Amino acid sequence: MNYNIDYKELYHSLPSGYFCSLPNGTIVASNKKFFDLTGYTREEVIGKKKFTDFLSLGGKIYFENVYSQALKLGGTLEEINFDIVKKDGTKFPILINSVEIKDSNGLHLFTQSVAFNISQRKKYEKELLIAKRKANDLSNELIDVNKELLSRAELILNQKLQLEEFNQHLENKNRQLSSFAHIASHNLRAPVSNLLALKDFYNESTDLDAKAMLFSKVELVIDHLNETLNELIESVKIQGNKDITHDPIIFDCVFDKTREILDNQIFDSKAIVTSNFSEVPNIEYPKLYIESIMLNLLSNSIRYRSPDRIANIHFCTEMNNNEITLIARDNGLGIDLQKHGHKLFGLSNTFHNHPDSKGVGLYMTKTQIEAIGGSIAVESEVDKGTTFTIALKKIAGA
Amino acid sequence: MLKELTARNNITIHGTGSKSMFLIHGYGCDQNMWRFITPQFKRDYKIILIDLVGSGKSDEDSYDYEKYSSLDGYADDVIEICDALNLKDVCIVGHSVSAMICTLAAMKRPSLFKKLIMICPSPRYINGDDYFGGFSQNDIDDLMETLDSNYLGWSSAMAPVIMGNADRPELAAELEESFCQNNPEIARHFAKVTFLGDNRSDLKKLTTDTLILQSQDDAIASMKVGRFVHDNISNSKLVILETIGHCPHLSGPDQTIDAMKEYLR
Repeated sequence: MNYNIDYKELYHSLPSGYFCSLPNGTIVASNKKFFDLTGYTREEVIGKKKFTDFLSLGGKIYFENVYSQALKLGGTLEEINFDIVKKDGTKFPILINSVEIKDSNGLHLFTQSVAFNISQRKKYEKELLIAKRKANDLSNELIDVNKELLSRAELILNQKLQLEEFNQHLENKNRQLSSFAHIASHNLRAPVSNLLALKDFYNESTDLDAKAMLFSKVELVIDHLNETLNELIESVKIQGNKDITHDPIIFDCVFDKTREILDNQIFDSKAIVTSNFSEVPNIEYPKLYIESIMLNLLSNSIRYRSPDRIANIHFCTEMNNNEITLIARDNGLGIDLQKHGHKLFGLSNTFHNHPDSKGVGLYMTKTQIEAIGGSIAVESEVDKGTTFTIALKKIAGA
Repeated sequence: MLKELTARNNITIHGTGSKSMFLIHGYGCDQNMWRFITPQFKRDYKIILIDLVGSGKSDEDSYDYEKYSSLDGYADDVIEICDALNLKDVCIVGHSVSAMICTLAAMKRPSLFKKLIMICPSPRYINGDDYFGGFSQNDIDDLMETLDSNYLGWSSAMAPVIMGNADRPELAAELEESFCQNNPEIARHFAKVTFLGDNRSDLKKLTTDTLILQSQDDAIASMKVGRFVHDNISNSKLVILETIGHCPHLSGPDQTIDAMKEYLR
């Protein structure tokens, strides 16, 4: 089909600027749009001007160094951005595509180029570029701040770990000191009470045989007292040590000693006190502590016996999962664990309005047990009895 | 060592001659710009071509902004490469700013270089009192903007320039798909170093036998600048090529080759 195309007319009415130049740059042909873009007339341009004449000096450097080399090497070049300087001196941005036209021998004859105005797009680009640069700067800033924060966080973490360690150390020391203080006051309390009671009996007694028997009991308690005192003095000497020394303990021996100390209370209460340490007869444990624990538990069981029945108190040892466990069971008043369970091992807590309950014992006992790395648990029913289960120490492997 | 340098500077070696010719591209391109020149010297010379660090296919990661904040950084690389290749009596060719890089290298190791060819050199582009470099600070800022707008700051590679038709007898067998691809950040930095630099005082210290090829009509390194360079290098010869533009090795390769051959005879 014939569309009657007037190529010359189309050429001049092209919506983009077209020009053709010689290898030396001189423009030999251009369309109307190109003249409009540059603001020059045909007479001023054709055969007279080169494309570089429409560029600023900065643009010329780019043209010579980058554009012309790439075009020469590749034969065609597209999407290059230049600023055109119009005849009136105003500038506007264009995109240019160029192609070299060669003859059959490869000789460069002409360069054809198309250029069009991209003022609007450039405005948009500039804004985007500014935003991008800002974002980059901000990102860099954030990276720096982040680094700073991370290193500070690490520092704080280290300090925290150090403080925790130190805190642990202080807690240990505190426990040691605390239990020592309680042992001192508590362990001495029972034998002295006994001595006072024996003294009264002795004074009231008229029978010489009775007096002699009482006095031998007094001697026993005095010996215990002296021993306890010596142990306390010894432990003061070794307070500086980080770890408490563990002594070879025979449960039967310690329990017997405890029974002797509380002989009077046992007699008065008519309590039946039994023991069975056959399963685990020995342990390596601080002597002061195990004595204190047994004394405390036994005296509690006697003290908080039910008035309605004979007190049955039984102590034994077990091995549970490689842990030496001491069990103290009684049939006394029991403790309402729902009410008082969480306060049971607290300091200065009493659960019965009992004249002798000073509320220090269980706290001290728990402290001692935990200082060695063990634990204490309690089961109890009101008016039925109480069982204390104490995991004393783990034994390595079986 | 040589392996790392080869990767760093994309060193390529051509030719079978016994004499050494080391060609260094100028700003804005890479070793491809010597395409029309090197075939004519392959027989008589071992031709060493490199991409300056930051340009072409050199190792971008090696671009140390501090090291290359002066042309000395590049000059040191040139000497390093010559030593690694055990070159002697080198004929070194530098275009535009690389003419100054060659000058600095020859000053550091005069015994290494026998001849120095400068194509469209300029020791300083910015006008000073009494000195006509051709440009003002504003013009260089303008260049920076043009650089920015052509790389757009978006991608780190210029759109590949696709090779046109293949009937170029001078060219070697393989065709490159892209020429003069430069990282925009580095291109910007290199432009600053090139166009804001001043190596005028170095010219007088150059003792090497030098040929200056001046393009007749060069907007970047004008005739005035060419004469200035010639006047300040004692052992120099100035030849004016009847070429247009700043890259006679591309726009007028035959004339360039003739002038070089004449000088090297």
